[in-house]
Amino acid sequence: MSAPTEEWRQYICRACGLIYDERLGDPDSGLAPGTRFDDIPDDWECPLCGVTKADFEPYERKAATNPAPAAMAPSRRPGIVIVGAGIAGWSVAEALRQRDSGIPVTIVTSCDGDIYHKPELSIALSRGRTPTKIRQATGGANAARLGVRLLAGTFAVRILSETNRLRTTRGTIAYSHLVLAQGARPVLADAMPPDLCWRINDLQAWSALYQTLAGGSKRIVVIGAGMVGCELSEDLARAGHRVTLLDRERAPVAEFFPPQASDRVKSGLESLGVAFLGSVNVARVIAGSDGLKRVETSDGQSFAADVVISAIGLATQSRLARTAGLAFERGIAVDPQSLRTNVSNIYGIGDCISIEGAPCRFIEPIGKQADIIAQDILGIAHGGYDHTPPVVRLKTKSAPLVMHGLPAKDGEWRVVDSNQARFAMEQWRGQDLVARLSA
Amino acid sequence: MQNAMALEQRLETAWNDDTAVLDGVKTIADGPLRAAATRIDRGDYPIEIMGALGRTGALGAHLDRHGGRAGLAIAAMQEASRACGTTGFLMWAHDVCGLYLEHSGNPALTGAVLDRHARGETFGGTALSNPMKSLAGIEPILLRATKVRGGYTVTGSLPWVSHIRQGQYCGAMAGVFDGDGNLSHEILFMLRCDPPVELKQCPTFSGMEGSSTFGIRLKDYFVGEDVLVADPARQFIARIKAIFILLQCGMATGIVQGSIDSMWEVEATLGHVNRFLDERPDELQGEFDELGARIMKLAETPYDGSRDYLIDVLDARAHGAELALRASQSALLHQGARGYLMSSAPQRRIREAQFVAIVTPAIKHLRYEIARLSKEEQPQ
Repeated sequence: MSAPTEEWRQYICRACGLIYDERLGDPDSGLAPGTRFDDIPDDWECPLCGVTKADFEPYERKAATNPAPAAMAPSRRPGIVIVGAGIAGWSVAEALRQRDSGIPVTIVTSCDGDIYHKPELSIALSRGRTPTKIRQATGGANAARLGVRLLAGTFAVRILSETNRLRTTRGTIAYSHLVLAQGARPVLADAMPPDLCWRINDLQAWSALYQTLAGGSKRIVVIGAGMVGCELSEDLARAGHRVTLLDRERAPVAEFFPPQASDRVKSGLESLGVAFLGSVNVARVIAGSDGLKRVETSDGQSFAADVVISAIGLATQSRLARTAGLAFERGIAVDPQSLRTNVSNIYGIGDCISIEGAPCRFIEPIGKQADIIAQDILGIAHGGYDHTPPVVRLKTKSAPLVMHGLPAKDGEWRVVDSNQARFAMEQWRGQDLVARLSA
Repeated sequence: MQNAMALEQRLETAWNDDTAVLDGVKTIADGPLRAAATRIDRGDYPIEIMGALGRTGALGAHLDRHGGRAGLAIAAMQEASRACGTTGFLMWAHDVCGLYLEHSGNPALTGAVLDRHARGETFGGTALSNPMKSLAGIEPILLRATKVRGGYTVTGSLPWVSHIRQGQYCGAMAGVFDGDGNLSHEILFMLRCDPPVELKQCPTFSGMEGSSTFGIRLKDYFVGEDVLVADPARQFIARIKAIFILLQCGMATGIVQGSIDSMWEVEATLGHVNRFLDERPDELQGEFDELGARIMKLAETPYDGSRDYLIDVLDARAHGAELALRASQSALLHQGARGYLMSSAPQRRIREAQFVAIVTPAIKHLRYEIARLSKEEQPQ
């Protein structure tokens, strides 16, 4: 017998999970209380499933894991279910509560539902922000404040539109109205493995990147010089990292802005030390044996990096919408007036929707959209949603840009002002002023 | 000999006809199987009935050599499970074992061995509960293999493996560990359940005792090339994972349909009070029909390797289990005391439904896996 002063230990059966506790022994199979595991004969069997002693391993009790307690007891009354707890999802919950304090609202979200301002993510590093500082409130606290039930860490799996039920990874929920605010996901090209290329579209990803970047200057390759790619590149450079920015276009943000403007952005980024390389296509991203990643372009160039970030675009995942037979065209197609999908008690809002075939992935319209949806659900007469192109701001401080209106592919850009102090352009289509751009 | 060949041909012709196969299964399910269901639940292993089901073609329909009719295999399992859930489970285990043999590409397993198996002349199941959970990161692998000349030796125990007994076999998976104790890969092999393989009596389960379930204990058991199904096994498992799970839906839908049958059975006499119950047969039937149609659609492309397809399969399987729990519970409430008799189908189906909900992959495993597949992967 071992010395009685030694602590009692526990062993778990790897097959069935039974725990052998040395203190209690197993009198049924002839092991007196206090029998040390080492003293048990090798041919002893698990009293529950019959595997042998060799299939036991030391057991240390883990802390209870319930990462996402529901903020409220589940309601039996079917209410409004919102999928997604980004700005869009929370805005709908907020708008509903402003008009009806009692109607049951459930938010189903794969994230933890924490509140933060997403546009901040692409400019946060150089401002010394941390995940804690960016988080304005936890999802649980916000749910309690609004009196809604939050199912965090929960994936929406299937919409049963015939019976108004949503299947999730934490059970099935009945709804009277369903609001899809699932957002859009960053896309990756086939040659860009997800375990090598970061995509920054939520606080969770940003926080993980933040941890990775801690501890000194890193070599970073950013793929895609759209608005997010440019803002992230500037932010990373200002935070002391060495950034190479790649894009298939000649200049940054060239798909959206005229050449004079994109050249300004390019110069601005270069003044901060960002190496911009245009007119290149990424052929593949691979892991090197030295722990570095290598980004190889189709014209034979190769860039070594500690961190690779992809910012080549966003797309709405169609799976959930498809399960309910929702019309889908580059996003969940919604009626421009009511924001209803083709199933009348299912709505869409924010990054996941498309209006007349066009997604609109900016923050500004979300508040208006949420208010229309809340009124429509609650049966309050409203004038309909009026979609206008939002004011678009490129937040690169080295060369910021503001765009009013929606530029047309065939419009003509004219320079109004272009000097150190002022920069302004206008886009005309015949007699019509289509868009205005200024620094 | 000529007779045997003629019989073979007749069998093959009948097997090609989906309706004939299903009619054959129905005849068995409504006759001897329904009559034996209580005994099977308490411990009778229905090996003769399994043989009869094999002769109808029900145990080979899903195999590529018989047209890859996964939908027919599921429909057959549903018909049997409607009468007896244990038998549906045995059909699933048998069907999956057939998949291992066929997909092995091992000439020693794909010839006469597979033919006899598909006809239900020999029997075998699947010991992949632990490996499936192990590959999903839920628990460690229990069988450990070491490379030796000409094959491997395998040591370890599995707690419960069904549809086996002496003279039968099952597919099994072992982790291959190198000298430093690191897992290098896995192997899948056919395990003959003859000495020195030790079959251990399991503790009594609350139902489905006729599933012939034993614990298996191996000590330095030699696995030669003639019984290897896949080495390494991961890609093999990935390929058959969806159909492995999809076939289980037949058990669930059979229990649901049997439960709805039991509700209608008492409608004439108890309908005036049963209408106060939550889940009425017509509501359940509506949900069941939608799910059934979805399962049959999924069964058209069982080797679609996409992530979205696999999520759909996992969800259909989970939905089946959840609906079986609800429908079996409701059937007992509809039947009242007569459904609570130890010999009655509704109380047996409650335990069968509970089994479908906890057998690998259990509802919780299915949701865990859906969540894992749905997550956006980022660099570590």
